[in-house]
Amino acid sequence: MSTSTTRTIADILLPPEAIPVVPPRTLVKEALEKMSASKLGLACIVDDDGRLIGLFTDGDLRRLLLRSQKPLSALFADDIIDHARREFTSVRADTSIDDALNLLQEREIFDLPVLDEGGHLQGLIHLHPALRALLGE
Amino acid sequence: MIPKIIKVGGGDVAEVQIGGTLPLAFLGGPCAIETRAHALEMAERIGEVCVGLDIPWVYKSCYDKDCRSSENSFHGIGMDAGLDILAEVRSAYKIPVVSDFSDAAWAARTAETVDLLQIPAYLCRQTHVLKAAGETGKPLHVKKGQFMSPWNMKNSVRKIEATGNEQILLTDRGTFFGYNMLINDYRNFPIMLETGYPVCFDATHSVQMPTSMGNVSGGQREFIPHLVRAAAGAGINALFMEVHDNPNEALSDPNTQLDIRYLKNILAQAKAMHAARQELLEEWGEDRVHLDD
Repeated sequence: MSTSTTRTIADILLPPEAIPVVPPRTLVKEALEKMSASKLGLACIVDDDGRLIGLFTDGDLRRLLLRSQKPLSALFADDIIDHARREFTSVRADTSIDDALNLLQEREIFDLPVLDEGGHLQGLIHLHPALRALLGE
Repeated sequence: MIPKIIKVGGGDVAEVQIGGTLPLAFLGGPCAIETRAHALEMAERIGEVCVGLDIPWVYKSCYDKDCRSSENSFHGIGMDAGLDILAEVRSAYKIPVVSDFSDAAWAARTAETVDLLQIPAYLCRQTHVLKAAGETGKPLHVKKGQFMSPWNMKNSVRKIEATGNEQILLTDRGTFFGYNMLINDYRNFPIMLETGYPVCFDATHSVQMPTSMGNVSGGQREFIPHLVRAAAGAGINALFMEVHDNPNEALSDPNTQLDIRYLKNILAQAKAMHAARQELLEEWGEDRVHLDD
């Protein structure tokens, strides 16, 4: 199964304003609210210059809840960066849709942040728009 | 996170730095400004103790006691008269002074005189109060409300930071334990330290039994030394105590203020405990018991 070679992920990119982008000192509670509002299962944590410095996903939240012994009220008040993953898979905007889909499949993930050369967040590849693009071929 | 150091005073009075691995600082004085003569005498006598023990200190006293239990309780000497007395204490002994304020409209006027502006515990989450305090640019002493969790103090900190003010001291003065009773949770110190700002222990208000006597608060002063020693070993940067030469006759908080005759004994132990903790951490390293160990 292959998509058109003329299309890149730029065509299916969710722009930053459509995804939960938060500064590192956002409370966990606030980040979760943003994630829910966007109907995406992750938050992208960026520094003052817009560089992506961490990701926090639904899976991270599940694992956090299973191991944390803090009261929920204390966990809500933590900074999101304290629970974010600092290492993550990302792609550039000129990546092909095929390559992006392959990455999603290999890593068994739903989302791929798209960064420029400086690590600035350009947007997000989410599995479902990518699938729609694929099925629309 | 690099611990922040706050600087109180300086210029024509002593500068007291609080935070990090700096020596323990002391904030103390009578709960309320009673008379000019009393304020000056207390500043002189407390100063003698602190100088003798080489403890940096800030004189504390308040001109308005808005949180009294009863309408009939002493409410304070008033802002103008009180600030004039604090200015005289400051000038006479070259020491920084701290006083609280209970109305956002009083923040700027109070900050013209004091070196450290205090936000009362009951008002620690009031946005107008915190913003007004932050906008003075003065270092702020924020008492954690007896009803507040230590982690929720982060919201108060963020409100202040939004004004551009990053000179904040966070103080634990006990936590409500049912009605008319407080308890001290020493987890509050490391939790509030996670904000990056220094923390302080208010020993005399911690032994308070709020409004336990119908129209006035009670207290168990006998526990002050025990709580101070424990707090000094638990990682505080500063100690706060209200000190009076005749607590039973004090116009405010008569049941919790420390009699000045015990001050030297308690401060000496607090300083020693604080220093011992620093030495232990230097020898054995910082605490590293983490969630994922």
